[in-house]
Amino acid sequence: MDPGVRLMERVAARDVRAFEALYDGYHRLVFGIGLRMLGDPALAEDLTQTVFMKIWTAPEAFRGGSFVAWVSRVARNRALDVLRSKAVHPESEIPADLPLEGALDDDVFSRLDAQRVRDALSALPPEQRALIELGFFGGVTHQELARRTDTPLGTVKTRIRSGLRRMRETLGERVSR
Amino acid sequence: MNEPANREEMMESVALYALGVLPREEAALIAAFIANDLEARREYLDLRAAADAIAHSADEPVDSATSSRMKERLMARVRAAASGQTAARSRVQAAYPAWIWGTGLATAAAVVFSVVTVAQDVNLRGNLAAAQRRIQVLAAQNSQIERVAAQDRRTLTDLLAPDAKRYEVAAGTVVVRRDRIYFAFSKLPPPPKGHVYQAWTAPKGSTTVAPSVTFSPNADGVAVVALPVDATRVGAVAVSVEPEGGSKAPTTTPTFVKPLT
Repeated sequence: MDPGVRLMERVAARDVRAFEALYDGYHRLVFGIGLRMLGDPALAEDLTQTVFMKIWTAPEAFRGGSFVAWVSRVARNRALDVLRSKAVHPESEIPADLPLEGALDDDVFSRLDAQRVRDALSALPPEQRALIELGFFGGVTHQELARRTDTPLGTVKTRIRSGLRRMRETLGERVSR
Repeated sequence: MNEPANREEMMESVALYALGVLPREEAALIAAFIANDLEARREYLDLRAAADAIAHSADEPVDSATSSRMKERLMARVRAAASGQTAARSRVQAAYPAWIWGTGLATAAAVVFSVVTVAQDVNLRGNLAAAQRRIQVLAAQNSQIERVAAQDRRTLTDLLAPDAKRYEVAAGTVVVRRDRIYFAFSKLPPPPKGHVYQAWTAPKGSTTVAPSVTFSPNADGVAVVALPVDATRVGAVAVSVEPEGGSKAPTTTPTFVKPLT
């Protein structure tokens, strides 16, 4: 089982030590997502504080499944909120990332590691990787992706689909449902 | 919006949706498509798993100074919150010692002095009040944005949840999850001019319908509607075309009547 799940059970029972352990285990991921999306260490630090305080004040928001997948989505959603509120990106209508309960096995993400995912991304053709990373961490729409990379919209769609499928194959059963 | 011309294009948009790069209006169209199409749902779950994994690539060492500072700041807030809860409970049971009253009075006197001093500067007070009003407005706007975003997330999560019950109806699907009911239409024709669609609900064990929300599809025939009812008490839902503003009872033959079994 994802160790975060067990810790969250204790956090829900107001166990400060469990919360500290949760922070120790996952703050790098949350801070990293914030830094990649917001491009500012100070904002990433604030985002990390916000995400973990929300975990402490409202642990019931986590309803099971993979903790690491959940906290990643919470961090990305929060970063998108920051991008919207600061109007850094004019395409502020971009929808929030969707927390999809029950979409993944409990321990799928605990079996993944950063290096393996980075390797999978590196294995993609550069044009696919660039679009996927900019889309995920940039908080921009596909139209903006097309504009920024000077690529036809249809090509953007095809490359993202092909890239995600290839990622799925490369990571194999580690991201299986 | 660029209307997808065919199914393959819709399937490509499923990948964009999984990556989270579709604008809100197109996202609603694809969410309705996914909710109504088993293959699209499978594709979405597969690609969503890959998209979720991308977050891992951001997991990199944080320099120790930053890491320690963040942890210290966070744990101080958490411990304060935790001890605040304990203190609040204690206050219910114990009266304040006399010395606390003395300290409290001294503090209150200091606050009064500060307020009087500030009040003497009319300009400063005016600026402060204006700034506070502005902060209140911004806070209210921010809360509203967060509420809407949270509602959107919950709606879309419910629409796509594997454990949701789905009932096929004309031009779309009725989705029931926990105590919530949604209509997800992807090909709903526009209602006649001066008319809207209206939802109806019938309590379990009854054939009497109660009026619910009115709605119209967008130019693409898409409408995602959350019914403000407790799904656990509803036995059937229906939709009919009604005059703008809605009706108290159906005035036309329902577009569909769907028992929620």
